[in-house]
Amino acid sequence: MSEHGHHIIKLSTLWNVAASLTVLTVLTVVVSNLGLPSPLDILSALVIALTKAYLVAAFFMGLRWDNKFNSVLIIGAVFFFLLMVGITMLDTMYRVEVVPSF
Amino acid sequence: MANHSADHPAHVHHHFVDSDQQFDSAKLGMWVFLVNEILFFGGLFCAYIIFRAWYPELFYQAAYELNKVLGGVNTVVLIVSSLTVALAIRSAQTNNIKWLKRNLLFTILLAVVFLVIKAFEYEHKFHYGIAPGSFWDPSPEVLERIDHPKANIFFSIYYALTGVHALHVLVGIGLIFWIYLRARKNEFSSEYFTPVEIVGLYWHLVDLIWIFLFPLLYLIE
Repeated sequence: MSEHGHHIIKLSTLWNVAASLTVLTVLTVVVSNLGLPSPLDILSALVIALTKAYLVAAFFMGLRWDNKFNSVLIIGAVFFFLLMVGITMLDTMYRVEVVPSF
Repeated sequence: MANHSADHPAHVHHHFVDSDQQFDSAKLGMWVFLVNEILFFGGLFCAYIIFRAWYPELFYQAAYELNKVLGGVNTVVLIVSSLTVALAIRSAQTNNIKWLKRNLLFTILLAVVFLVIKAFEYEHKFHYGIAPGSFWDPSPEVLERIDHPKANIFFSIYYALTGVHALHVLVGIGLIFWIYLRARKNEFSSEYFTPVEIVGLYWHLVDLIWIFLFPLLYLIE
């Protein structure tokens, strides 16, 4: 009766996602030990973290099969986070002097 | 159209058309809360980004004090706990109440392991006077490694981010235990498992935040 709305995720999918997340965790540790130069180390860490975040949100949280509006909400949250960081940095990065007590 | 009363089982509140609509509304409400959580942690991440942009060399020095192995183990602990929560939801969907309860208990166990490891990390740092803000009172060997006037700021950010995250883990333990008690009373089935699903979403978010905390705090070379 009410079953049609709920997607039951396959067992193998859940285990594969957990395995991928573990592999990516090992990968991010390995990459951090390579000693990549400054922008590359942060970028590689972020790319791996974003991939892991996608796996958790899409599969564990079920956004892949969910009402698309829930995906819009989380993408919106990320957008507003970037807006907050961006606008703050427009200030903090272009000061002649850093606020003394900070 | 099905008979209306047949569509209205005991768990459906009268202001909902049917079980599906109630489930979707509850889930939407949880997602709105998670948006709020993301932006709440976002403020702390914003502080991280600005101070890292201001003092990049500080972050490289200070991250040395964090234990990569313990941080990595905790990452895997949270990944497995996310899996057990997902398995718990699946067990509820397939009417397997025995494994629903087991998976919830596994999750609580893993969450406790996470907090114990975190407590050891904190204790080790406090021992060397690595404390946030004005409590910063490093021992000579720490000062040898971190030669930076703003070193306390890194650890203020570290304690704020990991502390608030640990608080979320603690709240999560309480919520999952509450779900476990309700599962014991046989309140959930494939027809009704909304609270399991929603607490599951919360728990996955806790994992999601840690996915960013681990490389950004521990893995700076």
